[in-house]
Amino acid sequence: MLQCLANGVLISGLYAVVTLGLTMVMGVMGIVNFAHGEFVMLGAYVTYWAFTLWGIDPILSLPLSAGVLILVGISIYRFGIKPILSAEAFEQVLLTFGISIILQNAALILWKADFRSISTPYSDMSIAIGPINIGLARLLTFGIAVMLTLLLVVFNKTKVGKALRAVSQNRKAAALMGINVDKAYIIAFSIAAALGGIAGTLSALIMYVFPLMGGKLGLKAFAILILGGLGNIWGTLIASLILGISESIVGTYLPQGSGWAEGLSFALILTVLIFKPTGIAGVRRE
Amino acid sequence: MWGAFGITALVYPWIVGSSYAVHMGIVILMYAILSMGFDILARTGQVSVGQAALFGLGAYCAVLTFEKFGIDPVLAIFLGGLFAGVVAAGFGFATLRIRGIYFSIATICFAESLQVLALMARGLTGGAIGVSVPPIFDGNITASYYFILALLGGTILVSLIIDKSKLNFAFTAIRENEKVASVMGINPTKYKVLSFVLSAFFTGCVGGFYAFYITYIIPYEVFGIGISVACLVMPVFGGLYTIEGPLLGAVVLKTVEEFLRTTIPYGHMIVYGVILVVSVLYMPAGIVGLVKKRFLERE
Repeated sequence: MLQCLANGVLISGLYAVVTLGLTMVMGVMGIVNFAHGEFVMLGAYVTYWAFTLWGIDPILSLPLSAGVLILVGISIYRFGIKPILSAEAFEQVLLTFGISIILQNAALILWKADFRSISTPYSDMSIAIGPINIGLARLLTFGIAVMLTLLLVVFNKTKVGKALRAVSQNRKAAALMGINVDKAYIIAFSIAAALGGIAGTLSALIMYVFPLMGGKLGLKAFAILILGGLGNIWGTLIASLILGISESIVGTYLPQGSGWAEGLSFALILTVLIFKPTGIAGVRRE
Repeated sequence: MWGAFGITALVYPWIVGSSYAVHMGIVILMYAILSMGFDILARTGQVSVGQAALFGLGAYCAVLTFEKFGIDPVLAIFLGGLFAGVVAAGFGFATLRIRGIYFSIATICFAESLQVLALMARGLTGGAIGVSVPPIFDGNITASYYFILALLGGTILVSLIIDKSKLNFAFTAIRENEKVASVMGINPTKYKVLSFVLSAFFTGCVGGFYAFYITYIIPYEVFGIGISVACLVMPVFGGLYTIEGPLLGAVVLKTVEEFLRTTIPYGHMIVYGVILVVSVLYMPAGIVGLVKKRFLERE
């Protein structure tokens, strides 16, 4: 039981990082980025290739995948998102969904549908704490995830962070106060893309890398976002824990549990949307 | 133009002769219905990213009613459509109250959770192996062609009725501004659910037909994202909120896809993504919109 709880907690770190990128874009720009999962997938491939071709350790490739994804993010923002910022939500959904299809299939064309994985010297190592065995790779991803979240909390207190929040509350008022809205959006989108890239690196450490991996992770992030409420870091963390732990429990104790666990996030989304559309944090959504 | 289209569609199997061409015709007609189904819902401003949920529900319901109760395939197909419609009504009442984006997320989750359900409930659905059924009309593909053509006729008729009746005003008002619409005495949830149910019925019927035409279904296929994507890209590309647009989108894109499938086996779906992005950015009214603009400029 303890082991199962520990596994759930450890995976929730990764879920939180994926979701934080999604909430950043949704909170500041009001856009649901259906392509966020594909950012994670690209980050995972950057790490995979850096490791396979040049032997760069996944942890060291963190800045690399963050950097590559910032470039990808800025170009997507410039050519795709910016023209439709003030368009209908309808068109925004279609556009980001289109980008997600493009990235997914580009990955399929380039790297085929193979499942790839990285094996580092430490991927099979584990630490025993009492009755629990904790994989070193999982512990690493969790640690990095916690650090990132703390960084983000600090960032929100800085001048740039405050500017982003101002823009998210009222775009026009913020512009009148002398905040460059376009720049704020670029920053928000780059941070989100970087978070996606980092999440990719982390997931390459502990799971298979394949072109459609982003879809599943992206949907889990939606579940967490909806459960945790929008733009609320603590809500996101708690919701990640809930999802991680419940997946782990279902996966361990139900017959054929890992299959059912895949559907858990979706069931969660549907339940929350139907019964309590404001999420656990209770933030009201228009 | 409508007359020419109708006559071509009616005599098509006699002109082409080869059964492959008739098969392509059937596939195109199927997608034409799916794409019109998406459009009926889109008229109220809702984007469903999970039409595969309705398609798969129709497919499984049709196949299972045939297998367990021995119901005639043609009737089973309509039962599949009805079942999808009933489920859509429940799902719609629960999720269409909230803002559009959340409905989109909910639909994609709906399709994914049904896929998991179909994979796991092995006793009923056969799990990943799926279910097989004998072919409809004893494998007579000309009969299949006319059946699906008639179903398309029904869809066009419903779409026309919506277009010409006062429903059109209600749908458009909700799409343009939901708050204003509700102030004017329109109950947005009611109309959104109505359009979703209509959309679900036709999508479910096509799912049922697909099952009996292809003769086997697996969860990855009928609840798969590929179907949801096609349902969405075709009408956007052709031109939303029109009758010609979704039809045109299905004819053009399915033909292109068939060509690409043979040249690029993996990832030919990338074209759908590119077309979607280009359509949203540069031709929001689709091909139909471009053509109309050209005509107006000439005059």
